[in-house]
Amino acid sequence: MNLFQLVLKQMRQRSLSTWLTMLSILLGVGLGSAIMILQRGAGVLFGQTEYAFDVLIGAKGSPLQLTLNTVYQLDKSPGNIPYSLYEQMMTDRKYRSDIKIAVPLAVGDSYKGQRIVATMPKMFGVDDEGKELDDDHNLGYRPEKHFQIAQGKVFAPNKFEAVIGSDIPQLTGLKLGDQFQATHGMPAPNMPADVHPEQWTVAGVLAPTHTAADRVVYIPLITFYCIFEHEAGLEAIAQLQQGKAPAPATKEAEEEKHYSLNPDGTIDLKLPKSDWMLSAIMVHSRGGFNARNLMWNINNQNVAAAVSPAEEMRKFFDVFLSPSSRLLQAVSYLVTVVAGVGILVSIYNSVSARMREIAILRALGATRHRILTLICVEAGLIGLLGGTLGLLAGHVLGAAGSVFVERLVGEGFNWINVGPEEWIYLGAVVVLSVLAGLVPAMKAYRTPVADNLVAA
Amino acid sequence: MAIQIENLRKRYIGPDGSVVPVINISGFALADGEQVALIGTSGSGKTTLLHMIAGILVPDEGRIRYHTNGTDVNIATLSEVERDVFRGRNIGYIFQTHHLLSGFTALENVQLGMSFTGRAPDPAWAKHLLEEVGLAERLHYKPGKLSVGQQQRVAVARALANRPKLVLADEPTGALDSANAQQVLDLIRKLCSEVGASLLLVSHDLNIARQLSRVLGLSELNKLS
Repeated sequence: MNLFQLVLKQMRQRSLSTWLTMLSILLGVGLGSAIMILQRGAGVLFGQTEYAFDVLIGAKGSPLQLTLNTVYQLDKSPGNIPYSLYEQMMTDRKYRSDIKIAVPLAVGDSYKGQRIVATMPKMFGVDDEGKELDDDHNLGYRPEKHFQIAQGKVFAPNKFEAVIGSDIPQLTGLKLGDQFQATHGMPAPNMPADVHPEQWTVAGVLAPTHTAADRVVYIPLITFYCIFEHEAGLEAIAQLQQGKAPAPATKEAEEEKHYSLNPDGTIDLKLPKSDWMLSAIMVHSRGGFNARNLMWNINNQNVAAAVSPAEEMRKFFDVFLSPSSRLLQAVSYLVTVVAGVGILVSIYNSVSARMREIAILRALGATRHRILTLICVEAGLIGLLGGTLGLLAGHVLGAAGSVFVERLVGEGFNWINVGPEEWIYLGAVVVLSVLAGLVPAMKAYRTPVADNLVAA
Repeated sequence: MAIQIENLRKRYIGPDGSVVPVINISGFALADGEQVALIGTSGSGKTTLLHMIAGILVPDEGRIRYHTNGTDVNIATLSEVERDVFRGRNIGYIFQTHHLLSGFTALENVQLGMSFTGRAPDPAWAKHLLEEVGLAERLHYKPGKLSVGQQQRVAVARALANRPKLVLADEPTGALDSANAQQVLDLIRKLCSEVGASLLLVSHDLNIARQLSRVLGLSELNKLS
């Protein structure tokens, strides 16, 4: 019977106490590991620099709000910018030389709680005629990753058509060929919904991207301006910008359609382009210097603000997520230390109850060092088993966290990989356990054999 | 293995700080393979003497010399670790109560005795010993499932597990009825002869003691006054 078998035998003999001690280690390590996974996941998810675009242009206000709204479809749009800025960017050499790809977006409607984003076909790598663009002009959703159409086709730029994200069929029941009406804004549950009369037909379904794009309904930009409320609102904004008071909407105006539909389903929009507004423009610049130059140029006029989404998210991560996760990490370390004290108490009690057994082992020829090793190995083994189970539990928690985050922002994180910090943590837990075992081991070490044999 | 005890003294400090002499033996010896009984009344220092011979306790004075294969070892001068190793390899100890580990089976208890010698374990020998003590059918029983007599027989097998050169038996039949006591004594004597071990058996029962080749009276050896 070797040392290891002897230790296992002793642990099995006190299985309830062993399991309870392991459970306390499991809870501490599970919590610590889950926090590490979440921290890592949040770092990758919110602190990443791997966006398909490196400059985001939107209304002046909160850069973080603009980034969260555009990248993760969270929060409200901070405001509007004129469509003319987009046109200027595409034609004016001052901007154009810095831009590789620019895609405009307008938001404000939803369908069954999922956001509707108005954009252009080039978002999906095709031009207005439906011809595929080369990779240099295909924005995609991550660097080198382009949207793929799983079913159907990309919408026509001037028809009431839509392309839906891969999660939309499951979330809303929409499928290829279905028609739907947009709801104004994102009404709260149990609030009356303001449903627009226009009907869009689902022309295509995107392949999964595992980003927030999977939960978005994309419509052509022009169709967004066909909606009376948007048109009236945009006209009012235009008038305000010219220093005039907007005219109140009349019933006649509401009943009059602001676009006409051709027999082939294409739209003739009456709203002048000067009234068109955008929520944001995503820009893939020609390089780091160009990105800085473009941001400087945009930020030096009063129309809009340009931000780096990666920098904004890194700031967000550093200011909000990182300190709170460090606090949780500290709590998990405390829980682990408490679990270590639990090992100490458990083994100390067990040693007190086993003084006779230890004396017998000594009488059979076990040296003091052997007894010391026996107790420390037992403590280390409890730490190792409890810690390993804790890592498993932490990853199960991490998986649950990933599912939750995916539901929230449409993007989960990797919960399977065991990071180096988790291995270090497990090692530290085993060392802590052995140290916790050292106190009872010293008690066993000093056990007076003769006294305990006689007392028994 | 022959043992020579010389000028052995052991004292305890009482609760009131007074010095209580327990052992004061000028000398006695055991020849190689000899089976000797040591009789004495309760509290006369029998167990203390056995503990010192086994190296569990260290005498205040005197020598306990083991002669084997031309070497002469005084266990009283060895370090604690050396005494533990020496005991594990050379001495089998049978306690008055069995002192088996309750979570281990009979076979495991016997094998446990082999765990601390540094030698390769010998499961066949452990089984053989249990068969010799009549427990071939109880190898995998835990002590709680065995009778008191059977428990003591497992303890006898464990004491012989390392083929010791000396077996110390501290009233091994004290907790048994007369029939079981005789069986256990016979087993101890038989197995000691089989492995060639000397036997020093402590008892307060003269009938038991007389069956061995020599009887020593502790009251005669121990000069406390």
